[in-house]
Amino acid sequence: MTAVDVTKGFAQEMRPSIDVRNLYKNFGRLKVLKAVSVKIEKGEKVAIIGPSGSGKSTLLRCMNLLEDPTYGEVWINGRLITPVDPYLHREVICASGTFRTIYSLRSRAVAEGYMTEDELAASVIAEIKRCDLLRRFEGRDYRNAMKALKYAFGMNVNLARRGIGMVFQHFNLFNNKTVLQNLTLAPTMLKLASKEQAEAYAMTMLRRIGLADKAYAYPSTLSGGQKQRIAIVRSLCMNPEYMLFDEPTSALDPEMVGEVLQLMKELADMGMTMVIVTHEMGFAREVATRVLFMDDGRIAEDGTPEQVFGAPKDKRLKEFLSKVL
Amino acid sequence: MNAWEIFYREFVTYEGYETVLEGLLATVIIAVCGLLIGFVVGCILAVLKIIPAKRWYAKIPRWLANIYVALFRGTPMVVQLLLIHFVIFPIMHIDIPTLAEAVIAFGLNSGAYICEIMRGGIQSVDAGQMEAGRALGLGYVATMVHIIIPQAFKNVVPTLGNEFIALIKETSVAGFIAIVDLTRAFQNIANSTYEFIIPYVVLALVYLVLVLVITLIVRLIERRLKVSDRR
Repeated sequence: MTAVDVTKGFAQEMRPSIDVRNLYKNFGRLKVLKAVSVKIEKGEKVAIIGPSGSGKSTLLRCMNLLEDPTYGEVWINGRLITPVDPYLHREVICASGTFRTIYSLRSRAVAEGYMTEDELAASVIAEIKRCDLLRRFEGRDYRNAMKALKYAFGMNVNLARRGIGMVFQHFNLFNNKTVLQNLTLAPTMLKLASKEQAEAYAMTMLRRIGLADKAYAYPSTLSGGQKQRIAIVRSLCMNPEYMLFDEPTSALDPEMVGEVLQLMKELADMGMTMVIVTHEMGFAREVATRVLFMDDGRIAEDGTPEQVFGAPKDKRLKEFLSKVL
Repeated sequence: MNAWEIFYREFVTYEGYETVLEGLLATVIIAVCGLLIGFVVGCILAVLKIIPAKRWYAKIPRWLANIYVALFRGTPMVVQLLLIHFVIFPIMHIDIPTLAEAVIAFGLNSGAYICEIMRGGIQSVDAGQMEAGRALGLGYVATMVHIIIPQAFKNVVPTLGNEFIALIKETSVAGFIAIVDLTRAFQNIANSTYEFIIPYVVLALVYLVLVLVITLIVRLIERRLKVSDRR
C-alpha cells in the first residue's frame, strides 16, 4: 500500500449542516444511542419525537457535545467537533497495523487470482469494522492519519457552540445574574460585543418579547414561561445558526406553554434552523419541516410531518401515535 | 495592690495596651489574609477535585489535591507552622517576615479545609448551570469563575464563617514562632506581673468579642447575597 493522503476525498460539500455520523452513546452498560446518523441542513426545522428513554435528548445533547459520544462523529458546517472515529474513515483503517497484518496474511488470495486488491482491502475493512478490531496501538501511520484528519477538519468545541443555541427543559438561567446579565454575559465574555452593544441588543430582544421591565429582575422572581422565553433570547443573543430545544415546554404549567411555543414559532418563521425534542405533537406537525421518530436508540422513522403523522410506516410509531394523539 | 491595680498599671501606665493592640492587629492580619489565601487555594483545589477526568493522567491533579488535603488536615497546625518556620523556608533560603510565614502557613492550612467546603458548595449547584454556560460557548474555567463559584459561595458562606472563626482562634498558636499575637501579648502581661486571672479572662473576652463581630459580618454578607433569592 502506498501512503495515502487521508484528507483527500473528504472535501465536504460546504452546505452548512449538523451532520451526525454513526453515533453510539453508552451510559455504562446502557446503550442509549445505536448507530444514529442524521444530517440536519440549514433552514430545516426538525422535530424529534419518541417515547421517553428512546434517546431523543441524548442525541440532541450530543449535537453540541454536552454528552461525549462513545463512538461516531459530529460535524458542524463541515468541521469535526468530536474526536476522529477511526472506523468511519477508510484511510485511517488502511493505515493501521491490524489492517496491514490481515491484508498481508490474505494476500495469497490476490496472488492466486481469487480477488482483486480492492476487493480484498474492502473485505478486510468490513471485517475490521464488524469485529471492532482496531486497538489503541496501531502504529505511527495510523496515529498520523488520525492526527491529519483532526488537524484538517477539527474544530474547538467552544467555538462551535457559539453558533449553536441550546434551550433546556429546566431553563437553566444563571441564578446569580439579573436577566440582562444573563443575556449579555456570554457575548461580552467572549468579546463578541462591547458591553453597551450587548446590552442594547439584549434590551431590543427583551422588548420584542415584552419583558423589558424584567431586565433587572433575578430569574427566581419570574414565572416558568418568562424564564423559558428569556432562556431562548439568551441563546439568540449569541446570533446562533442553529437552535437546539430540549423539551422546552415540558416543565411549564399548561397556561404558559402557549407563550413559549408562540416565540418558537416566530423564530421558525424567521428562518432559524431548529432541532426540537418535544412532546407537543400539534406543534411538531405545524412548525416542523421534518420529523424524526426515535425508538430504542435508533431513528425509526424520518420524514415530513405529513408522512410521519399521516401515514406512519413503523409499527412502534403507529403505537406511539395512537397513544399520544 | 490588688489584682486590678496591678493589671491596670501594667496595661495602661506601662503601656501594655500598645503590645496588645499590635497583637490584635497581628491576629487579625493572620486570620484575614489566611482566609483569603485559603479561599483561593481551596477553590483551586476544589475545582481540581471535581474536574471530570476519564483517562488516568487526567486524574493526576485530583490525586495531588487529595494528597494536599490529606497532608494539611492530617497534621496539627502548630507542627505545620514550626515546619514552615524552622525547616522549609530556611532550607529554601527564603527570608521573609515571620508574620508573612504565619500568613502562608495558616492560608495553606485553611485551604485544605475550604477545599472540602467549596467542593460541597460547587456540587450543590445545579449541573444545568454548567451546561448552560458551556452551551453558550463559555469555557469550563470561565463558567466556573463567573457562574458556579459565586453560587457555590453563597451556599457556603455560613460554613466559611465557621472556618473563619476557627481560624482566628487557631492563630493563638502563632506565638510558637515568636509572633506577638493577641495571646502572646496578654501572656507577656501575665508573666511580667505574676497575676494571671485578669489578663487571661480579658484575653478570653477579647476573642469572644472578635468572634461575635465576625458572626455579625457573616450575617450581613449572607443578607447581601440573598438578593438573587426569591423575595
